[in-house]
Amino acid sequence: MNLYAIAQNIEASALGQAIRESTWLFPAIEATHLLALAMLGGSVLIIALAVLGIGLKTPPAELHKSARRYMNAAVVILLITGILLGVSEPVKLYGRQAFWVKMTSLALALAITYFAFNPLVRRGDRDGVARTVAVATMAAWLMVAMAGRWIGFS
Amino acid sequence: MLDDLVTKLADTPWSVELHESLYMYAITESTHVMSIMLFVGTIAMIDLRLLGVSYAQVPVSQMLSRMLPWTITGFALLVITGGMLFLAIPIRTYHSLWFRLKCLMILIAAINIFIFTFKVERDKAKWDLGPVPNKSKICAVISLSAWACVIVFGRLIAYNWFDCDSITSPSMAQITGCPLDPG
Repeated sequence: MNLYAIAQNIEASALGQAIRESTWLFPAIEATHLLALAMLGGSVLIIALAVLGIGLKTPPAELHKSARRYMNAAVVILLITGILLGVSEPVKLYGRQAFWVKMTSLALALAITYFAFNPLVRRGDRDGVARTVAVATMAAWLMVAMAGRWIGFS
Repeated sequence: MLDDLVTKLADTPWSVELHESLYMYAITESTHVMSIMLFVGTIAMIDLRLLGVSYAQVPVSQMLSRMLPWTITGFALLVITGGMLFLAIPIRTYHSLWFRLKCLMILIAAINIFIFTFKVERDKAKWDLGPVPNKSKICAVISLSAWACVIVFGRLIAYNWFDCDSITSPSMAQITGCPLDPG
């Protein structure tokens, strides 16, 4: 079964239909997705700006202890609500270039955040590598948000 | 008076250009959404500190002095892009129930910031690193709730459930400033 056929099957699913047919469900999920996006932005920024020396003076490793729960919660909520939004219109998404740009940048953003940014911050690194990773993390999430909004236009 | 103003705005070439340009409108809308991460994101982290639930090791004074410049930058971006989005679709937005509720929430949040700045935080030296007082917690809860509502209502402006052409009750016509269709 190819990807397009899978998209058609998901579109026909009970969950997909329920979200599509409800007036309030899609907007409510969308709004929750946005709220979680703000929380993700805040938790990443508070650490990244400190790493770059243009935010709080508290060691980033200390900030990470507080921020990580909001970051993780935001990522989980974003993934759940994102999947629900996707399930309601997978055939449309399949044909949208912005969707594939978003999925690629999402994979990149998750990888940078959890395999580079978080470990470096926990180790207390503030060197050139840590700074570059901090900028790359912010840029990657911006890309995800931008491409995400673009899905609605293309 | 405002009615005339939005009608005039809708007739300006800027409004027409923004409305008709797919890319400019999309870029503006996307920048608006990205700026939410900067503005509401940083304000939420500040509020969590003022609520006393997180970042206890950061002095309140430092949280405000080092983070608020980023919050204000985000706010400036939101006002500029938000103004452009309004300019692109002035009449419909002006009558939108969600837009009006969003403005109300921004007003509540602004009054809250005013009270925090001129009343609540004045003696912050006393609780810079200690337990936060209740007045600080109250401001934080109002701020978090108001800005969350601003995001939700802002997103709902896109939906046409309460556009002028679907309004039938006199009270809703009053709230949205829409003419009530007798038919």
